[in-house]
Amino acid sequence: MIESQNASLVYTDHGKQLYACRDVTMRVNPGEFVGILGPSGSGKSSLLYLLSGLKVPSSGETLYEGVSLSRTPDAVRAAIRLRDFGFVFQYPYLLGYLSAMENVLVARPDLDGHEQARSLLVNLGMESKMHRLPHELSGGERQRVCVARSLLGSPRVIFADEPTASLDHENGIQVVALLNRYRGEGALVMVTHDPSMLTAADRIVRLEDGVVAEGS
Amino acid sequence: MKALGPLTYLRRNQRKTLPLIGVIVLAVMLICGIVSLINSIPLSVRVIYQYSSLMMGVTPRGDAGMTDQIRPVILKESPVPIGRIATCRASETEVRSIVGPWTFAVIAVGPDDAKFTLDRLGVTKVNGRMPKPGAPEAVITEPVARNLKLNIGDVVLAPDKNDGYSPQEVKVVGIAETRYWFILADLDYYRVNHFPPIDLLLVFAKDPARQGELDAWAMERFKGERARIVAYSEIERQSKEMFNTLYRILDVVIGTLVIVITVMMGMLINIHLTQRTQEFALLQALGYTKRAMALRVVVETVMVVMLGWLLGLATAFGMLRLCQIILMDPNAYAIDIVDTVALRYTVPVPLAILAVSLYTLWSHFRTFDPVGVVERRLV
Repeated sequence: MIESQNASLVYTDHGKQLYACRDVTMRVNPGEFVGILGPSGSGKSSLLYLLSGLKVPSSGETLYEGVSLSRTPDAVRAAIRLRDFGFVFQYPYLLGYLSAMENVLVARPDLDGHEQARSLLVNLGMESKMHRLPHELSGGERQRVCVARSLLGSPRVIFADEPTASLDHENGIQVVALLNRYRGEGALVMVTHDPSMLTAADRIVRLEDGVVAEGS
Repeated sequence: MKALGPLTYLRRNQRKTLPLIGVIVLAVMLICGIVSLINSIPLSVRVIYQYSSLMMGVTPRGDAGMTDQIRPVILKESPVPIGRIATCRASETEVRSIVGPWTFAVIAVGPDDAKFTLDRLGVTKVNGRMPKPGAPEAVITEPVARNLKLNIGDVVLAPDKNDGYSPQEVKVVGIAETRYWFILADLDYYRVNHFPPIDLLLVFAKDPARQGELDAWAMERFKGERARIVAYSEIERQSKEMFNTLYRILDVVIGTLVIVITVMMGMLINIHLTQRTQEFALLQALGYTKRAMALRVVVETVMVVMLGWLLGLATAFGMLRLCQIILMDPNAYAIDIVDTVALRYTVPVPLAILAVSLYTLWSHFRTFDPVGVVERRLV
């Protein structure tokens, strides 16, 4: 479904070329839970952004359903992200002036997702807080709202970039479990530096210095 | 309500949007108020001397005997049928305007001409009576009475009044109801008591709508001759010349004000956009296009600017109406509280703010990298 073929991502820093990822070839199959594991600075997040089309590779290809994302116009890639992908980021980003419920609905403006959003928030234990604003929620609660947002519209792939980084271990475990439980038939690609978060993963890809060290 | 509808942001971030609206309201109110009040000066000229649009004054020059020669020329050569030529004498007094006292004519005519003149002025009723022949009496119109705070029995001209001299006390015996400003005295009294002993003419077109045509003809016909034509068009021309410089200064002041407000608003909008960087990054990462987000911000900005502009106009209207009730009307000062010129002066405010906002927005989104923000590298 999603495939990277010799994909590299190069940053230029003061005239020097730095490889965030180098010649990464890997595949994410439908419904699969793929963990991307590696130490800080190993290029995990960069790989996630390449796979999700948020970044285009400096060389090589990223394909979604056989179509090259790097050759697809920005607007089309944006439409793919909105329709087919869900995102959970390291930090629980929410729009401060919208309630938890409205923050979830933001993920799919093209759908009338009220019922599903409500159901997701109930399942994630946010029933009594779905009309609260983000500043009235704890860090763990905010990340649950982010999880609900990523699940709205039953996306085909959910990309989670260190979703447990800003949480304590217990909350982190809970968030990953919730993502895994409610993703349905969607694939889950999760980046983390903590192997204990990937106990349910179907497959783990290890990155070191931007290069796949194990799994692909 | 849509979660990301433009009104949602504005309503739920009132502490940010209300100051923006407030600044625009104040700027528009200030500009509209200043321009309306300044415009009230030339408007006052037009209103106070508007009676001259209904009659043409002719005074001889250098030779008092010219009056009798001018009359037949007008009757014979005028392309516009003449309704009446009244013989009159005149003296000066003062009326009060928003910028101080202005000279105003007291016109003395005979009883028949007085009736005709009041008819031409659209007088519907005279409270009191007309001046008696030879008596030191006058009829004033209602705006003059209000402006000079005069009632029947009060003195309008007196020996001790430098600005409205007459050898005897001239009392108000009637107040005529009309919108025109006019002071009418008796010709016989003036012939006996007032200097210089020169008869003047008041020339009325038969059809009041053609008075301007008659004035224009007379101005041309008597150019360089021993006659001076006093016509409304001359008053308008002089008024325009008089205020030309003032309006140039006003343009510079308003222009500077618009620039200051626009720069300030541009800075505020830039700060607000920067504060929303995370929001834009998140939405773009989720799949919203830059175009959709920019459009949303443009709609929000247009709403803020238009609301500020409309509220500014409404506030200006309210303030000017209050000014009209408290200050202008009791003194019969003229003011147009829905002055379209003032309205036009405010138009650059929303346009300039919108232009700066659009530029700020464009520069903000041009090199925007959502990944840098969601990875917390850029915030």
